[in-house]
Amino acid sequence: MNDDGVGEPGAPGRSLRLDVDLARLADVRAFVRATVIRMGADERAVGDIVLSVDEWVTNVVRHGYRGGHGPLEVDVDEEGSDIVVHVRDGAPVFDPATAPPFDPETPLHLRRPGGMGIHLMYDLMRSVEHRPLPGGGNEVTMRRVSRSAEAGGIA
Amino acid sequence: MNITVDQPSATAAVVNLDGELDGSNYGRLIKTGQELYASGVRLLVLDCTALTYMSSSGIVALHSLTRVFDGHEPPDPESGWQAIHDIGGDVNEGLTQDHVRLVAPVPEVDRVLDRTGLKQLIPIHSTREAALAG
Repeated sequence: MNDDGVGEPGAPGRSLRLDVDLARLADVRAFVRATVIRMGADERAVGDIVLSVDEWVTNVVRHGYRGGHGPLEVDVDEEGSDIVVHVRDGAPVFDPATAPPFDPETPLHLRRPGGMGIHLMYDLMRSVEHRPLPGGGNEVTMRRVSRSAEAGGIA
Repeated sequence: MNITVDQPSATAAVVNLDGELDGSNYGRLIKTGQELYASGVRLLVLDCTALTYMSSSGIVALHSLTRVFDGHEPPDPESGWQAIHDIGGDVNEGLTQDHVRLVAPVPEVDRVLDRTGLKQLIPIHSTREAALAG
């Protein structure tokens, strides 16, 4: 925990690197929660950001790492009034924008699992961007204002 | 997440959820409910008072439990994830159920229930006594 407290005011973000599996989702959430609270995010923003990161990382472990484990990096930065979270993995390339929409009309046999979490992530974040990493893996960048009042009461 | 069970009668159970419900433990909750149903329990009260967090994995577990307590075949783990899509269908068709009830979710959990549509499917009570009384 001491490492988390080190740093200059306005220092560029915080990083977590770990070998992630389902049992360590709680560690990822605890890191993101503590970091965005320290950055001044309000309660609503904290909840949205923690949930969105958790949904994406759950998806990475369940599908990208097939329920096993693999490398994960989480960087949390501030840009103006935004919190920006980068999540990098070593899993096969998967752009969440290509996930099937959350559509109850889709016949069961045509659906793929995991759509609910990705739907929530897009719902809660102002933007979600994906890029394949040059050496393999994915980087997903999520962005949300740190204080809900500045979003005009949305969310 | 700690799961403990109180059974005030042969057909009603209160499952106390303590901690965080996520992708690592939602299967354990489904299994607990399945075992209770198999033992004759027909009213499942999930006490969320001490539940501090829930992701969509928890939504999958709750939805799966409504299916189990409606007498459907217990979904396997993978179909549990696919079954999440059925919530919208169930709600749109006006289906409601009263065999699975929640007690006192904290605001952060309540928001997830709301955003995923599950709140329309699962009754929420403020106390376990009220939930047991229905």
